[in-house]
Amino acid sequence: MTTTVERAPNDGHPAPWLAPAVLVLAVFYAVPVLDVARLAFSDATLIEPATGFSTQALRAILGNPALPQVLGTTVLFVAVNVLALQVAGLAIALLIVRGERRELPGMAAFRTLVLAAWVVPGIANGLIWQILFDEAPYGTLNSLLGYAGLGPVAWLSDPQMALVSAVIANLWQGTAFSMIVFYAARRGIDPTLYEVADLDGAGPVRTFRSITLPLMRRAIAVNTVLVSVQTLNTFDSILALTGGGPGRATEVLSLFTFNTVFYNLDLAGGSVLALMLFALGMALTLLIGWLNRGEARA
Amino acid sequence: MTRPILIAALALAPAMANAQELVTRNRVGLPDAPNTLTFRLTAYDLYSSDPATSEAFEEMFRDFIEARPDWKIETQLQTGNIGQEQARLLQQTRAGRGPDCAMIDSSQLATFRDAGVLQPMNAVFSDEDVADLFPYVREAVTDEAGNVLAWWWFTDLRVLYRDTSVVPEAPQTWEDTREAALAAVEAGKEGILFNGGRWEGTAFDWLGNFWAQGGRLVDDEGGPVFAEGENRAKFLEAVAYYQDLVESGAAPRRVTSITDYDAFNAAAAAGTAAMFVGGNWQYGQMRNTLDPEAFENWEVSELPGPTADQRATGTGGWSIAALSDDPEKAELCGEIGKEIYAGPGNAFQGLLPTSEATYDEYDAYDGPEFDLFAEALQNGVARPGAAIYPEISNQIQILLGNVLSGTSTPEEALDAAASAVQAAYDRQ
Repeated sequence: MTTTVERAPNDGHPAPWLAPAVLVLAVFYAVPVLDVARLAFSDATLIEPATGFSTQALRAILGNPALPQVLGTTVLFVAVNVLALQVAGLAIALLIVRGERRELPGMAAFRTLVLAAWVVPGIANGLIWQILFDEAPYGTLNSLLGYAGLGPVAWLSDPQMALVSAVIANLWQGTAFSMIVFYAARRGIDPTLYEVADLDGAGPVRTFRSITLPLMRRAIAVNTVLVSVQTLNTFDSILALTGGGPGRATEVLSLFTFNTVFYNLDLAGGSVLALMLFALGMALTLLIGWLNRGEARA
Repeated sequence: MTRPILIAALALAPAMANAQELVTRNRVGLPDAPNTLTFRLTAYDLYSSDPATSEAFEEMFRDFIEARPDWKIETQLQTGNIGQEQARLLQQTRAGRGPDCAMIDSSQLATFRDAGVLQPMNAVFSDEDVADLFPYVREAVTDEAGNVLAWWWFTDLRVLYRDTSVVPEAPQTWEDTREAALAAVEAGKEGILFNGGRWEGTAFDWLGNFWAQGGRLVDDEGGPVFAEGENRAKFLEAVAYYQDLVESGAAPRRVTSITDYDAFNAAAAAGTAAMFVGGNWQYGQMRNTLDPEAFENWEVSELPGPTADQRATGTGGWSIAALSDDPEKAELCGEIGKEIYAGPGNAFQGLLPTSEATYDEYDAYDGPEFDLFAEALQNGVARPGAAIYPEISNQIQILLGNVLSGTSTPEEALDAAASAVQAAYDRQ
């Protein structure tokens, strides 16, 4: 009779345990990315397959006079959204936690209401806001402003305002995600700390600055990465809301990629732009990770 | 008394169920039929959200397949995003994964034809059928050898709608239009509305103004020439017409945010607009949605031109084409086009047929508006059969948005558009 010693899963080599995950990632993520990289250095169009290696698409895209404007719009759209999503998400999360602590009725309904916006598909979100921003004499928001003696606002026809409108639409939909992350993080903070602060006579601002914010920094860092990448890839709601117009006023990089492939039929050019999106997303992630390296170790 | 009814109902139930099963959400015909045709169609007919339309087409498809019991049609639905859907269809067909038969937007026909994926349907359409097509349609669906590569089964055109209580006489020229619109603004209405946002309708509706002067977008080889020589001056004239409408207040600035024709129906229903540039199909929609009294005020006329003698209107529509090289499947595809869509299907929906004979064959085309549409079609211009057209359209949309919102001058915007189109053309 022999005795076998049972080994814990993490005693041996990790490869067998990691293999399924690596395989799934390789098949569903790495292979498509590599294929996009292959297409980016080819002459492929939607009509003709690639015939060989070429840097023509790369040169054409980098030399496209519209690219600086599109990148500028993208940076502005992402930066404003990321900032606003954090502030709005945090504010709503803290409001809900405070309401729950005081056992105010309707907090669950409020949470559900915020979450409802999150499950709306991007295209539907764009269409909903297109109806609200309608500048016709009977348009919803302008009519409401009219009752208050304000407006009308050129929500979608003015190039600057159209970008603001696109931000508002994205903010309405994306806030729920930030709210969930911050709500979970806030609920994870030991309530004793707040009781002690209360006993010490700390006001709400001091409590927020000295307890809530420091203990939520990791959640803020994670959320920044997630919403940055999410916003960078946003195009469906803008497509439905403005189509990228007027002119190119709301054409962000992801929408420019879509237009390059489906209007120009330029698969290689679209692949170059897709790689650019991938690189930007990765760079943002690494940058935010690096900026918050101290917090991650905390 | 109830018992015999129940027995009769039970006896009829299998037959009724069988009849219903002939048309499902993804199939027409019996599931065990030995031959299969895959058909990618749009959501405007058999699967229309309008129950009356879908029921009428279900009946037509049922009759069609009952006459061909050895066949079943597996249906695949396209979404409303035409550009993306058509690009995907072309890509799949090139890769050998496309359907046997598909609806192809008339503006994309040339791209499909140049890609060599359209299979002849000569067995279905006679020389007389082809000869009866409008010239621009005939040219688009046949090749040099006379093969019928697609069947463009309905067309449409752009016209000027006006509320005759505000604008009694149809404007004939751009100047007339401006004056009529400004008078309407004085009367508290929006003078004239048109598509000015970022979508195909903007470019297509506006192109009538360019074509009316004899402007050309591409040369015989399909290369872009819209910003060269005489075309450049004509292009700038047409842009200046729209720019002047907006800057004078004849058209509201919000036109740069209009990206669908429904906005015009809504304005007509609300009684806020005096005129708009719309599609012929909106006439029927307005008749069904407006109060009869309000509808009586609305009339259609040809799009105004720079002079009363210079007129043009963009013509669109859908075609059906065989993508399978199996002759039997190509034939069946052609028969669907001929027996369902081009005839009774068109008449039911009040769409504009592409052949003269169909107008005489169906009572549905007896209304006075069809006389106007038929007359305006004489000045119809189809989008060029060139693979570069989608990018030209994209650049025109950007150009108009920039000019009408005051971001660029027409000259700057045209130079940028020409440069972008040329770069895209060089890459194709």
